[in-house]
Amino acid sequence: MALSAAKPLIRRHTEIGIFLIGAILIVIFASTSDGRWANLYNIGTIMQVTATLGLMSLGVAIVIGTGEIDISVGSTFGMGALAHLWLAARVDPVFAALAAIVVGAAIGYVNGWLVTRTRTPSLIITLGTLMIFRGIAIALTDGFSFSIPYAARNGWTYFLLGGGDVFGFNTALFWLIAAFAVLLVVLKAMPFGNRLLAVGGSADSAHSRGVRVDRIKLSAFVICGILAAFAGALEAGKLGFADGSMGRLMELQAIASCVLGGCLLAGGRISLIGALMGAFVLSSIQSYLVVTGVQPQWFILILGLIVVGAAYGDKSLRNWAIRK
Amino acid sequence: MTQQPLIQVKNLDLYFGAFHALKNVSVDFNAGELIGLVGDNGAGKTTLIRVLCGIHAPTKGEVFFDGRKVEKFHPKLAIDQGIETIQQSVGLCDNLSIARNFYLGREPVKRILGIPFLDFAKMREKSSRVIRQFGLRENVSADDEVERLSGGERQSVKIGRAVEFKNRVVIMDEPTNHLSVREREHVNELAVQLKEQGLLVIYITHDIFQVHKLADRVVIMENGEKVADASTDSMSAEALEDVIRQGGRVVEKQEAV
Repeated sequence: MALSAAKPLIRRHTEIGIFLIGAILIVIFASTSDGRWANLYNIGTIMQVTATLGLMSLGVAIVIGTGEIDISVGSTFGMGALAHLWLAARVDPVFAALAAIVVGAAIGYVNGWLVTRTRTPSLIITLGTLMIFRGIAIALTDGFSFSIPYAARNGWTYFLLGGGDVFGFNTALFWLIAAFAVLLVVLKAMPFGNRLLAVGGSADSAHSRGVRVDRIKLSAFVICGILAAFAGALEAGKLGFADGSMGRLMELQAIASCVLGGCLLAGGRISLIGALMGAFVLSSIQSYLVVTGVQPQWFILILGLIVVGAAYGDKSLRNWAIRK
Repeated sequence: MTQQPLIQVKNLDLYFGAFHALKNVSVDFNAGELIGLVGDNGAGKTTLIRVLCGIHAPTKGEVFFDGRKVEKFHPKLAIDQGIETIQQSVGLCDNLSIARNFYLGREPVKRILGIPFLDFAKMREKSSRVIRQFGLRENVSADDEVERLSGGERQSVKIGRAVEFKNRVVIMDEPTNHLSVREREHVNELAVQLKEQGLLVIYITHDIFQVHKLADRVVIMENGEKVADASTDSMSAEALEDVIRQGGRVVEKQEAV
């Protein structure tokens, strides 16, 4: 049968499921929304959301690759946004974005340090830091406004850091493409990537081969923090303001993107392109629900149902591919 | 022997929590020697070599390598010093290809603008050439994931890796498990060859008769203690087997006499 010829391909490329789901959803969304979903303006919006969620998902995928998880990224995103906004109103946005990156790296370092030093599951550590940094973000914005005056929202650096469009797409999309390309090379073609996946595949085996497991994990958390905070900076650049709840619940979307995209939570097997496709699918669903005027209270419910359905579909596809 | 031992273990104690895994173990290992490390399950053989290859740090006692006291225990340091270990249960990452496993931790790189990129051509070519000698099927490529391999082929990757890099010590933990008769012979020949090249070979096994034929000296462990340490010239395999069967008591009696 012609279909079974695809089995080895599906086995080897775990991200195929999310691409199929994406293709099916695109057809459904385009044909049932009367042109409100599939138009250039809306696609541009989806791409902007995909870009920030995608940057976060890439970072989470890297951490998942080591067999750990980082669910604090939603708060890291918020902290990055606040750092960017606070400084962008005062100095050049380039320095503001760099400051956001430093904040993200610091949060990632704290996560990684706690996980590797205390040998506590990263799920609970980063759940804690999720709350800690959300608390700090809310405290910082209490009675203090984080926004850039309209007069200051100009200059090419502001434009490049999420504040403008190129070819109809927010500049964040191009940062996403760049980050994806760099991480893909690091992961597949450099010793660091080989060791990172080895740690996720079997930390004991990697350790026995002389790989510094803790250092690799720590680096993964730092990379993840940087990407989440930078995504926050880009989002802040687009909106020009932020409050303490910025990025809330995004961590769940980022993890969903990774898992739907074929990243194995046990570690060692991740797909960066799959994680991006996952982010695109989630952004598309949200956009569809918005443009078709679904009431907000149904929004999160329907999103959840589609995620569960997609996860089940993907799992079934993989099971089918494993069978002889 | 007048030369200084390559590895000297002195009064080593190791606890895992409350469990006393190694009890006051002292052994000398010399370069150019093939040493059989024998004992039942849980005797402490694997724990001892895991100290030598840097996976566990001892609770008490000292290890000297080449006359210098080992201060820090980490597999990276051991590997850098030329101690290569064929572990029984760890050493391979199922999710990575043969070539990536082969070079894990010491990947060959080509630098472009100072940035290290994996040298895929070298990784593929060398790893498959070396491992083929140890029973890797022709239709398995160096790009295939280790997960697909049979027990013997997995072992062949580990052995190939131990042979490929220029080492001073090769530790083999039950190297012939899962191997066919011919592969087993090949591994045993190899152990002797490595020894003849001047390396220290530590060969761990349950099978005293097999290792007696190969080894210059046999060290027997029982319940975390060293209970015998004899050259194969001075003690027959049967006598050594008795020691194992008696849990070391024979030797104590002999010493007492």
